Amino acid sequence: MAEKIVVDARNMACPGPITKLTKAYRKAKPGDIIEVLATDPGFKPDVQAWVQRTGNELLELKEENGVIKAVIKVTAKK
Amino acid sequence: MAQKKQVLVLGAGAGGLIAGNYLAANGYRVTIVEKNDYHLFQPGMLWIAFRGHDPERYMRRVTELVKPGVELVKGVVTEINLAERLVKLSDGREFSYEYLVVALGAAYDYDAVSGNRELLEKYGDFFSGAEHARRLWQAFSSMKEGTLVIAAADPGYKCPPAPHKAAFLAAETLRERGLLGKVKVVLAVPFVHEYSSENIARIVAPKLREAGIEVKTMFTVESIDVEKKKLYSLEGEELGFDVATVIPVHRGPLDKVEPETAVDEDGFFKVDKHTLRIEGYDDAYAVGDCNNTPTSKTGVTAHLGGEVVAERIMGYNAVFTGRTNCPLITDGEALFVISDYEHPPVPVRFSKFKRLLEDMFIAMYWPSLRDPEKWSPLFRAYFEATQPKILAKLGW
Ligand SMILES: Cc1cc2nc3c(=O)[nH]c(=O)nc-3n(C[C@H](O)[C@H](O)[C@H](O)COP(=O)(O)OP(=O)(O)OC[C@H]3O[C@@H](n4cnc5c(N)ncnc54)[C@H](O)[C@@H]3O)c2cc1C
Repeated sequence: MAEKIVVDARNMACPGPITKLTKAYRKAKPGDIIEVLATDPGFKPDVQAWVQRTGNELLELKEENGVIKAVIKVTAKK
Repeated sequence: MAQKKQVLVLGAGAGGLIAGNYLAANGYRVTIVEKNDYHLFQPGMLWIAFRGHDPERYMRRVTELVKPGVELVKGVVTEINLAERLVKLSDGREFSYEYLVVALGAAYDYDAVSGNRELLEKYGDFFSGAEHARRLWQAFSSMKEGTLVIAAADPGYKCPPAPHKAAFLAAETLRERGLLGKVKVVLAVPFVHEYSSENIARIVAPKLREAGIEVKTMFTVESIDVEKKKLYSLEGEELGFDVATVIPVHRGPLDKVEPETAVDEDGFFKVDKHTLRIEGYDDAYAVGDCNNTPTSKTGVTAHLGGEVVAERIMGYNAVFTGRTNCPLITDGEALFVISDYEHPPVPVRFSKFKRLLEDMFIAMYWPSLRDPEKWSPLFRAYFEATQPKILAKLGW
Protein backbone atom coordinates (compact mmCIF):
# COMPACT_ATOMS: atom_id res chain seq x y z
CA MET A 1 0.00 0.00 0.00
CA ALA A 2 1.20 3.49 -0.85
CA GLU A 3 2.42 5.50 2.09
CA LYS A 4 3.05 9.10 2.94
CA ILE A 5 6.57 9.77 4.16
CA VAL A 6 7.30 13.08 5.85
CA VAL A 7 10.89 14.32 5.78
CA ASP A 8 11.46 17.17 8.17
CA ALA A 9 14.65 18.94 7.14
CA ARG A 10 13.84 22.28 8.69
CA ASN A 11 16.85 24.16 10.08
CA MET A 12 19.24 21.90 8.20
CA ALA A 13 21.76 23.61 5.99
CA CYS A 14 22.27 22.47 2.44
CA PRO A 15 22.72 19.68 1.39
CA GLY A 16 20.85 18.27 4.39
CA PRO A 17 17.38 18.40 2.84
CA ILE A 18 18.34 16.64 -0.41
CA THR A 19 20.40 14.11 1.52
CA LYS A 20 17.36 13.30 3.67
CA LEU A 21 15.17 13.12 0.58
CA THR A 22 17.64 10.69 -1.03
CA LYS A 23 17.58 8.50 2.08
CA ALA A 24 13.76 8.50 2.11
CA TYR A 25 13.62 7.80 -1.62
CA ARG A 26 15.82 4.72 -1.23
CA LYS A 27 13.23 3.18 1.08
CA ALA A 28 10.15 4.43 -0.80
CA LYS A 29 7.86 2.26 -2.92
CA PRO A 30 6.16 3.18 -6.19
CA GLY A 31 3.13 5.34 -5.49
CA ASP A 32 4.40 6.63 -2.13
CA ILE A 33 4.17 10.33 -1.39
CA ILE A 34 7.23 12.05 0.05
CA GLU A 35 6.67 15.39 1.71
CA VAL A 36 9.81 17.41 2.47
CA LEU A 37 9.87 20.44 4.73
CA ALA A 38 12.97 22.64 4.55
CA THR A 39 14.11 26.11 5.46
CA ASP A 40 17.30 26.21 3.40
CA PRO A 41 16.58 28.51 0.39
CA GLY A 42 18.83 26.37 -1.83
CA PHE A 43 16.36 23.51 -1.46
CA LYS A 44 13.87 24.96 -3.95
CA PRO A 45 16.06 24.87 -7.08
CA ASP A 46 17.70 21.66 -5.82
CA VAL A 47 14.46 19.73 -5.47
CA GLN A 48 13.36 20.89 -8.91
CA ALA A 49 16.61 19.62 -10.41
CA TRP A 50 16.22 16.37 -8.48
CA VAL A 51 12.67 15.76 -9.66
CA GLN A 52 13.67 16.46 -13.23
CA ARG A 53 16.61 14.06 -13.07
CA THR A 54 14.77 11.25 -11.33
CA GLY A 55 11.54 11.62 -13.30
CA ASN A 56 9.26 11.60 -10.28
CA GLU A 57 6.23 13.82 -10.03
CA LEU A 58 6.31 17.11 -8.13
CA LEU A 59 2.76 17.56 -6.85
CA GLU A 60 3.40 20.70 -4.89
CA LEU A 61 6.18 23.19 -4.20
CA LYS A 62 5.44 26.20 -2.08
CA GLU A 63 6.97 28.51 0.46
CA GLU A 64 5.08 29.71 3.51
CA ASN A 65 6.53 31.61 6.46
CA GLY A 66 10.03 30.70 5.39
CA VAL A 67 9.26 26.99 5.16
CA ILE A 68 9.55 25.31 1.77
CA LYS A 69 7.23 22.37 1.28
CA ALA A 70 7.76 19.92 -1.56
CA VAL A 71 5.36 17.06 -2.17
CA ILE A 72 6.67 14.35 -4.45
CA LYS A 73 4.88 11.31 -5.82
CA VAL A 74 7.17 8.35 -6.42
CA THR A 75 6.42 7.44 -10.01
CA ALA A 76 9.87 6.57 -11.38
CA LYS A 77 10.53 3.48 -9.27
CA LYS A 78 9.69 0.09 -10.62
CA MET B 1 41.56 15.37 47.47
CA ALA B 2 39.46 12.52 46.16
CA GLN B 3 41.05 10.28 43.58
CA LYS B 4 40.35 11.37 40.01
CA LYS B 5 37.71 9.42 38.17
CA GLN B 6 38.22 6.38 36.02
CA VAL B 7 37.41 6.82 32.32
CA LEU B 8 36.78 4.02 29.84
CA VAL B 9 37.44 5.04 26.21
CA LEU B 10 36.25 2.79 23.38
CA GLY B 11 38.32 3.09 20.19
CA ALA B 12 41.84 4.40 19.59
CA GLY B 13 41.01 6.48 16.52
CA ALA B 14 41.47 10.22 16.42
CA GLY B 15 38.66 11.03 18.87
CA GLY B 16 39.46 8.29 21.40
CA LEU B 17 43.21 8.99 21.51
CA ILE B 18 42.76 12.74 21.94
CA ALA B 19 40.19 12.32 24.73
CA GLY B 20 42.09 9.51 26.48
CA ASN B 21 45.55 11.07 26.30
CA TYR B 22 44.27 14.51 27.29
CA LEU B 23 42.56 13.05 30.37
CA ALA B 24 45.63 10.96 31.26
CA ALA B 25 47.78 14.11 31.06
CA ASN B 26 45.49 15.56 33.70
CA GLY B 27 45.73 12.69 36.13
CA TYR B 28 42.66 10.61 35.21
CA ARG B 29 42.82 6.84 35.20
CA VAL B 30 42.20 5.95 31.57
CA THR B 31 41.55 2.61 29.88
CA ILE B 32 41.33 2.48 26.07
CA VAL B 33 39.84 -0.55 24.30
CA GLU B 34 40.91 -1.01 20.66
CA LYS B 35 40.54 -3.97 18.33
CA ASN B 36 43.50 -3.22 16.04
CA ASP B 37 47.25 -3.15 16.71
CA TYR B 38 47.69 -0.26 14.32
CA HIS B 39 46.08 3.16 14.00
CA LEU B 40 45.57 4.14 10.36
CA PHE B 41 45.66 7.78 9.26
CA GLN B 42 42.57 7.44 7.09
CA PRO B 43 43.29 10.19 4.53
CA GLY B 44 46.41 8.16 3.74
CA MET B 45 44.21 5.61 1.98
CA LEU B 46 43.77 8.13 -0.83
CA TRP B 47 47.52 8.28 -1.36
CA ILE B 48 47.88 4.52 -1.14
CA ALA B 49 45.06 3.91 -3.62
CA PHE B 50 45.78 6.61 -6.20
CA ARG B 51 49.46 7.50 -5.79
CA GLY B 52 50.84 4.11 -4.84
CA HIS B 53 52.22 5.19 -1.48
CA ASP B 54 53.51 2.61 0.95
CA PRO B 55 50.78 1.89 3.55
CA GLU B 56 53.37 1.88 6.34
CA ARG B 57 53.70 5.62 5.99
CA TYR B 58 50.19 6.03 7.34
CA MET B 59 50.20 3.49 10.15
CA ARG B 60 51.49 3.58 13.71
CA ARG B 61 51.31 1.03 16.48
CA VAL B 62 48.60 2.03 18.94
CA THR B 63 51.03 1.32 21.78
CA GLU B 64 53.17 4.21 20.50
CA LEU B 65 50.22 6.59 20.48
CA VAL B 66 49.01 6.25 24.05
CA LYS B 67 50.61 8.07 26.95
CA PRO B 68 52.43 6.10 29.63
CA GLY B 69 49.93 5.27 32.33
CA VAL B 70 47.04 4.68 29.94
CA GLU B 71 45.87 1.10 30.12
CA LEU B 72 45.46 -0.27 26.60
CA VAL B 73 43.19 -3.26 26.17
CA LYS B 74 43.16 -5.13 22.90
CA GLY B 75 39.69 -6.43 22.18
CA VAL B 76 36.49 -6.08 20.19
CA VAL B 77 33.63 -4.24 21.88
CA THR B 78 30.32 -5.97 21.17
CA GLU B 79 27.88 -4.39 23.59
CA ILE B 80 27.33 -1.31 25.70
CA ASN B 81 24.80 -1.18 28.51
CA LEU B 82 24.47 2.44 29.57
CA ALA B 83 22.02 1.81 32.40
CA GLU B 84 24.30 -0.75 34.03
CA ARG B 85 27.52 1.08 33.09
CA LEU B 86 28.82 -2.06 31.47
CA VAL B 87 30.83 -2.73 28.29
CA LYS B 88 31.21 -6.24 26.91
CA LEU B 89 33.92 -7.59 24.60
CA SER B 90 33.67 -10.47 22.13
CA ASP B 91 35.88 -12.69 24.31
CA GLY B 92 33.51 -12.33 27.27
CA ARG B 93 35.48 -9.74 29.22
CA GLU B 94 33.40 -7.02 30.87
CA PHE B 95 34.34 -3.52 31.93
CA SER B 96 32.52 -1.06 34.13
CA TYR B 97 33.21 2.65 34.24
CA GLU B 98 32.70 5.95 36.00
CA TYR B 99 32.84 7.84 32.71
CA LEU B 100 32.45 6.36 29.25
CA VAL B 101 33.72 7.87 25.99
CA VAL B 102 32.50 6.02 22.90
CA ALA B 103 34.81 6.75 19.95
CA LEU B 104 34.30 3.70 17.76
CA GLY B 105 33.99 5.55 14.46
CA ALA B 106 31.56 4.59 11.71
CA ALA B 107 31.04 1.05 10.41
CA TYR B 108 30.29 0.14 6.80
CA ASP B 109 27.34 -1.77 5.41
CA TYR B 110 28.56 -3.40 2.21
CA ASP B 111 25.29 -5.31 1.91
CA ALA B 112 23.06 -2.24 1.74
CA VAL B 113 23.80 -1.94 -1.98
CA SER B 114 23.78 -5.15 -3.98
CA GLY B 115 27.14 -5.87 -5.57
CA ASN B 116 29.09 -3.55 -3.29
CA ARG B 117 30.83 -6.36 -1.40
CA GLU B 118 31.75 -8.12 -4.64
CA LEU B 119 33.09 -4.85 -6.04
CA LEU B 120 35.18 -4.35 -2.90
CA GLU B 121 36.63 -7.81 -3.20
CA LYS B 122 37.55 -7.26 -6.81
CA TYR B 123 38.85 -3.69 -6.85
CA GLY B 124 39.27 -2.67 -3.18
CA ASP B 125 38.34 0.82 -2.01
CA PHE B 126 39.83 3.84 -0.26
CA PHE B 127 37.62 3.77 2.85
CA SER B 128 38.05 0.45 4.59
CA GLY B 129 41.68 -0.13 5.38
CA ALA B 130 45.18 -0.08 3.94
CA GLU B 131 44.85 -3.50 2.36
CA HIS B 132 41.79 -2.52 0.36
CA ALA B 133 43.45 0.75 -0.66
CA ARG B 134 46.43 -1.25 -1.86
CA ARG B 135 44.12 -3.49 -3.89
CA LEU B 136 42.55 -0.45 -5.53
CA TRP B 137 46.02 0.84 -6.44
CA GLN B 138 46.77 -2.49 -8.12
CA ALA B 139 43.56 -2.31 -10.18
CA PHE B 140 43.90 1.40 -10.99
CA SER B 141 47.60 1.42 -11.81
CA SER B 142 47.25 -1.47 -14.25
CA MET B 143 44.71 0.45 -16.37
CA LYS B 144 46.01 1.44 -19.79
CA GLU B 145 42.66 2.59 -21.11
CA GLY B 146 38.99 2.63 -20.18
CA THR B 147 36.96 4.29 -17.45
CA LEU B 148 37.64 4.67 -13.75
CA VAL B 149 34.50 5.51 -11.78
CA ILE B 150 34.63 6.91 -8.26
CA ALA B 151 31.16 6.93 -6.69
CA ALA B 152 29.22 6.73 -3.42
CA ALA B 153 26.29 4.62 -2.23
CA ASP B 154 24.94 7.34 0.05
CA PRO B 155 25.42 11.08 0.53
CA GLY B 156 26.17 10.62 4.25
CA TYR B 157 29.78 9.44 4.00
CA LYS B 158 32.74 10.76 6.01
CA CYS B 159 34.98 13.55 4.79
CA PRO B 160 32.77 15.06 2.04
CA PRO B 161 35.71 16.01 -0.24
CA ALA B 162 37.29 12.52 -0.10
CA PRO B 163 35.99 11.29 -3.50
CA HIS B 164 36.96 14.61 -5.11
CA LYS B 165 40.48 14.28 -3.71
CA ALA B 166 40.50 10.73 -5.02
CA ALA B 167 39.62 11.94 -8.51
CA PHE B 168 42.27 14.68 -8.47
CA LEU B 169 44.97 12.29 -7.30
CA ALA B 170 43.96 9.67 -9.88
CA ALA B 171 44.07 12.28 -12.66
CA GLU B 172 47.51 13.42 -11.47
CA THR B 173 48.88 9.88 -11.66
CA LEU B 174 47.39 9.37 -15.12
CA ARG B 175 48.76 12.68 -16.38
CA GLU B 176 52.26 11.78 -15.21
CA ARG B 177 51.99 8.51 -17.06
CA GLY B 178 50.64 10.13 -20.20
CA LEU B 179 47.42 8.15 -19.87
CA LEU B 180 44.90 10.86 -19.01
CA GLY B 181 42.28 10.78 -21.74
CA LYS B 182 42.99 7.16 -22.60
CA VAL B 183 41.85 6.45 -19.09
CA LYS B 184 38.81 8.54 -18.27
CA VAL B 185 38.17 9.57 -14.65
CA VAL B 186 34.48 9.84 -13.80
CA LEU B 187 33.45 11.23 -10.43
CA ALA B 188 29.80 10.42 -9.63
CA VAL B 189 28.45 12.42 -6.70
CA PRO B 190 25.16 11.90 -4.84
CA PHE B 191 24.55 15.66 -4.78
CA VAL B 192 22.70 18.12 -6.99
CA HIS B 193 25.92 20.06 -7.58
CA GLU B 194 29.54 18.98 -8.06
CA TYR B 195 30.07 19.22 -4.31
CA SER B 196 27.65 18.81 -1.41
CA SER B 197 27.65 22.55 -0.71
CA GLU B 198 26.86 24.81 -3.65
CA ASN B 199 29.33 27.47 -2.42
CA ILE B 200 32.17 25.03 -2.75
CA ALA B 201 30.80 23.41 -5.92
CA ARG B 202 31.19 26.73 -7.72
CA ILE B 203 34.89 26.85 -6.82
CA VAL B 204 35.65 23.19 -7.40
CA ALA B 205 33.77 22.60 -10.68
CA PRO B 206 36.22 24.55 -12.91
CA LYS B 207 39.17 22.81 -11.23
CA LEU B 208 37.67 19.41 -11.93
CA ARG B 209 37.16 20.38 -15.56
CA GLU B 210 40.77 21.65 -15.84
CA ALA B 211 42.03 18.38 -14.42
CA GLY B 212 40.09 16.46 -17.06
CA ILE B 213 37.70 14.86 -14.60
CA GLU B 214 34.17 14.14 -15.77
CA VAL B 215 31.52 14.74 -13.13
CA LYS B 216 28.16 13.06 -12.90
CA THR B 217 25.82 14.75 -10.42
CA MET B 218 22.83 13.19 -8.64
CA PHE B 219 24.19 9.69 -8.97
CA THR B 220 23.65 7.72 -5.76
CA VAL B 221 24.65 4.11 -6.36
CA GLU B 222 21.73 1.76 -5.82
CA SER B 223 23.14 -1.45 -7.23
CA ILE B 224 26.25 -2.76 -8.92
CA ASP B 225 26.64 -5.42 -11.59
CA VAL B 226 30.28 -6.43 -11.29
CA GLU B 227 30.04 -8.90 -14.18
CA LYS B 228 28.52 -6.42 -16.66
CA LYS B 229 30.64 -3.62 -15.17
CA LYS B 230 27.76 -1.27 -14.54
CA LEU B 231 26.67 1.00 -11.71
CA TYR B 232 22.96 1.81 -11.42
CA SER B 233 21.76 4.88 -9.55
CA LEU B 234 18.79 5.54 -7.34
CA GLU B 235 18.05 8.48 -9.63
CA GLY B 236 17.53 6.04 -12.50
CA GLU B 237 20.73 6.20 -14.53
CA GLU B 238 23.64 3.88 -15.25
CA LEU B 239 27.40 4.21 -15.65
CA GLY B 240 29.74 1.72 -17.25
CA PHE B 241 33.24 1.17 -15.83
CA ASP B 242 36.44 -0.76 -16.22
CA VAL B 243 37.51 -0.14 -12.65
CA ALA B 244 35.12 1.28 -10.07
CA THR B 245 35.11 2.03 -6.39
CA VAL B 246 31.98 2.87 -4.43
CA ILE B 247 32.03 4.42 -0.97
CA PRO B 248 29.79 2.13 1.12
CA VAL B 249 26.75 3.09 3.19
CA HIS B 250 27.87 4.11 6.70
CA ARG B 251 26.22 3.05 9.94
CA GLY B 252 26.82 3.10 13.68
CA PRO B 253 29.58 0.84 15.08
CA LEU B 254 27.62 -1.55 17.35
CA ASP B 255 24.67 -3.90 16.96
CA LYS B 256 23.93 -4.01 20.66
CA VAL B 257 23.37 -0.87 22.68
CA GLU B 258 21.17 -0.76 25.77
CA PRO B 259 18.86 1.13 25.76
CA GLU B 260 18.15 1.03 22.03
CA THR B 261 16.90 4.60 22.23
CA ALA B 262 20.50 5.79 22.70
CA VAL B 263 21.16 5.26 18.98
CA ASP B 264 19.30 6.53 15.90
CA GLU B 265 17.85 4.36 13.13
CA ASP B 266 21.27 4.06 11.49
CA GLY B 267 22.97 3.12 14.76
CA PHE B 268 24.69 6.44 15.46
CA PHE B 269 24.77 7.57 19.09
CA LYS B 270 22.24 10.30 19.83
CA VAL B 271 24.12 13.08 21.59
CA ASP B 272 23.55 16.65 22.62
CA LYS B 273 25.26 18.42 19.74
CA HIS B 274 27.10 20.88 21.99
CA THR B 275 28.16 18.71 24.95
CA LEU B 276 28.40 15.36 23.09
CA ARG B 277 26.73 13.65 26.03
CA ILE B 278 24.69 10.61 25.06
CA GLU B 279 21.00 11.52 25.43
CA GLY B 280 19.72 10.66 28.88
CA TYR B 281 23.12 9.94 30.50
CA ASP B 282 25.49 12.30 32.26
CA ASP B 283 28.37 9.84 32.48
CA ALA B 284 28.61 8.78 28.83
CA TYR B 285 29.79 10.64 25.73
CA ALA B 286 30.14 9.78 22.05
CA VAL B 287 32.70 11.61 19.89
CA GLY B 288 33.63 11.62 16.24
CA ASP B 289 32.12 9.54 13.45
CA CYS B 290 30.02 7.36 15.78
CA ASN B 291 27.68 10.15 16.93
CA ASN B 292 24.73 11.79 15.18
CA THR B 293 25.80 15.45 15.29
CA PRO B 294 24.54 17.30 12.20
CA THR B 295 28.01 18.05 10.88
CA SER B 296 30.39 16.32 8.49
CA LYS B 297 32.16 13.26 9.81
CA THR B 298 35.82 14.31 9.78
CA GLY B 299 39.04 13.86 11.71
CA VAL B 300 38.94 17.49 12.76
CA THR B 301 35.47 17.03 14.18
CA ALA B 302 36.65 13.95 16.11
CA HIS B 303 39.74 15.80 17.31
CA LEU B 304 37.83 18.86 18.56
CA GLY B 305 35.09 16.66 20.01
CA GLY B 306 37.70 14.61 21.89
CA GLU B 307 39.02 17.78 23.51
CA VAL B 308 35.53 18.99 24.43
CA VAL B 309 34.63 15.68 26.08
CA ALA B 310 37.91 15.52 28.01
CA GLU B 311 37.42 19.07 29.27
CA ARG B 312 33.81 18.42 30.25
CA ILE B 313 34.88 15.38 32.25
CA MET B 314 37.50 17.62 33.91
CA GLY B 315 34.66 19.94 34.92
CA TYR B 316 34.98 22.74 32.37
CA ASN B 317 32.05 24.04 30.37
CA ALA B 318 33.56 23.25 26.94
CA VAL B 319 31.23 23.36 23.95
CA PHE B 320 31.45 21.65 20.56
CA THR B 321 30.65 24.07 17.72
CA GLY B 322 30.35 21.56 14.88
CA ARG B 323 33.46 23.00 13.26
CA THR B 324 34.82 21.25 10.15
CA ASN B 325 38.05 21.84 8.27
CA CYS B 326 38.14 19.43 5.33
CA PRO B 327 41.05 19.83 2.97
CA LEU B 328 40.35 19.56 -0.72
CA ILE B 329 43.57 18.90 -2.56
CA THR B 330 44.29 19.32 -6.23
CA ASP B 331 47.60 19.32 -7.98
CA GLY B 332 49.79 21.47 -5.72
CA GLU B 333 46.94 23.52 -4.27
CA ALA B 334 44.36 23.12 -1.54
CA LEU B 335 41.40 24.75 0.14
CA PHE B 336 39.63 23.95 3.39
CA VAL B 337 35.91 23.43 3.60
CA ILE B 338 35.16 25.36 6.78
CA SER B 339 31.78 25.36 8.49
CA ASP B 340 30.09 25.01 11.87
CA TYR B 341 26.56 24.50 13.23
CA GLU B 342 25.68 28.15 12.65
CA HIS B 343 27.39 28.65 9.29
CA PRO B 344 27.30 26.67 6.05
CA PRO B 345 30.66 26.20 4.27
CA VAL B 346 32.18 29.58 3.52
CA PRO B 347 33.50 30.33 0.06
CA VAL B 348 37.30 30.20 0.15
CA ARG B 349 40.02 30.12 -2.49
CA PHE B 350 42.44 27.44 -3.60
CA SER B 351 46.04 28.32 -2.84
CA LYS B 352 49.53 26.84 -2.66
CA PHE B 353 49.85 28.16 0.89
CA LYS B 354 46.91 26.07 2.05
CA ARG B 355 48.50 23.02 0.49
CA LEU B 356 51.58 23.69 2.63
CA LEU B 357 49.37 24.14 5.66
CA GLU B 358 47.72 20.78 4.97
CA ASP B 359 51.12 19.08 4.73
CA MET B 360 51.94 20.66 8.07
CA PHE B 361 48.69 19.40 9.63
CA ILE B 362 49.53 15.91 8.42
CA ALA B 363 53.01 16.16 9.95
CA MET B 364 51.46 17.27 13.24
CA TYR B 365 48.95 14.44 13.24
CA TRP B 366 50.88 11.80 15.19
CA PRO B 367 52.35 14.04 17.91
CA SER B 368 49.00 15.78 18.39
CA LEU B 369 47.24 12.46 19.05
CA ARG B 370 49.70 11.49 21.73
CA ASP B 371 50.20 14.88 23.38
CA PRO B 372 46.98 16.82 22.79
CA GLU B 373 47.59 19.02 25.82
CA LYS B 374 50.76 20.41 24.17
CA TRP B 375 49.39 20.93 20.67
CA SER B 376 45.95 22.14 21.57
CA PRO B 377 46.88 25.87 21.94
CA LEU B 378 48.30 25.94 18.41
CA PHE B 379 45.23 24.28 16.89
CA ARG B 380 43.00 26.56 18.90
CA ALA B 381 44.71 29.67 17.53
CA TYR B 382 44.14 28.38 14.00
CA PHE B 383 40.48 27.49 14.61
CA GLU B 384 39.86 30.83 16.36
CA ALA B 385 41.33 32.80 13.46
CA THR B 386 39.44 30.83 10.82
CA GLN B 387 35.97 30.78 12.40
CA PRO B 388 33.35 30.71 9.65
CA LYS B 389 31.64 33.73 11.16
CA ILE B 390 34.82 35.73 10.48
CA LEU B 391 35.72 34.13 7.14
CA ALA B 392 32.19 34.50 5.80
CA LYS B 393 32.86 38.23 5.62
CA LEU B 394 36.57 38.26 4.84
CA GLY B 395 36.96 35.26 2.56
CA TRP B 396 40.26 33.36 2.76
C1 LIG C 1 39.60 8.45 2.48
C2 LIG C 1 39.37 9.30 3.68
C3 LIG C 1 39.90 10.57 3.72
C4 LIG C 1 39.68 11.38 4.82
N1 LIG C 1 40.23 12.63 4.81
C5 LIG C 1 40.07 13.42 5.89
C6 LIG C 1 40.68 14.70 5.92
O1 LIG C 1 41.40 15.10 5.03
N2 LIG C 1 40.45 15.49 7.00
C7 LIG C 1 39.67 15.08 8.04
O2 LIG C 1 39.50 15.83 8.99
N3 LIG C 1 39.09 13.85 8.03
C8 LIG C 1 39.27 13.03 6.99
N4 LIG C 1 38.70 11.78 6.98
C9 LIG C 1 37.80 11.38 8.06
C10 LIG C 1 38.52 10.94 9.33
O3 LIG C 1 39.49 9.98 9.03
C11 LIG C 1 37.52 10.39 10.31
O4 LIG C 1 36.45 11.28 10.43
C12 LIG C 1 38.16 10.19 11.69
O5 LIG C 1 39.10 9.17 11.62
C13 LIG C 1 37.11 9.90 12.74
O6 LIG C 1 37.71 9.61 13.97
P1 LIG C 1 36.99 8.70 15.03
O7 LIG C 1 37.90 8.69 16.21
O8 LIG C 1 35.60 9.13 15.22
O9 LIG C 1 36.90 7.26 14.36
P2 LIG C 1 38.06 6.33 13.80
O10 LIG C 1 39.29 7.11 13.53
O11 LIG C 1 37.46 5.54 12.71
O12 LIG C 1 38.41 5.39 15.03
C14 LIG C 1 37.58 4.36 15.49
C15 LIG C 1 38.47 3.35 16.19
O13 LIG C 1 37.65 2.40 16.86
C16 LIG C 1 38.13 1.10 16.59
N5 LIG C 1 36.98 0.20 16.66
C17 LIG C 1 35.89 0.19 15.85
N6 LIG C 1 35.01 -0.74 16.25
C18 LIG C 1 35.57 -1.35 17.33
C19 LIG C 1 35.12 -2.36 18.21
N7 LIG C 1 33.93 -2.97 18.04
N8 LIG C 1 35.91 -2.72 19.24
C20 LIG C 1 37.12 -2.13 19.44
N9 LIG C 1 37.58 -1.14 18.63
C21 LIG C 1 36.82 -0.76 17.59
C22 LIG C 1 38.73 1.18 15.20
O14 LIG C 1 39.66 0.16 14.97
C23 LIG C 1 39.36 2.57 15.23
O15 LIG C 1 40.68 2.55 15.70
C24 LIG C 1 38.91 10.90 5.90
C25 LIG C 1 38.39 9.62 5.88
C26 LIG C 1 38.62 8.81 4.80
C27 LIG C 1 38.06 7.42 4.78
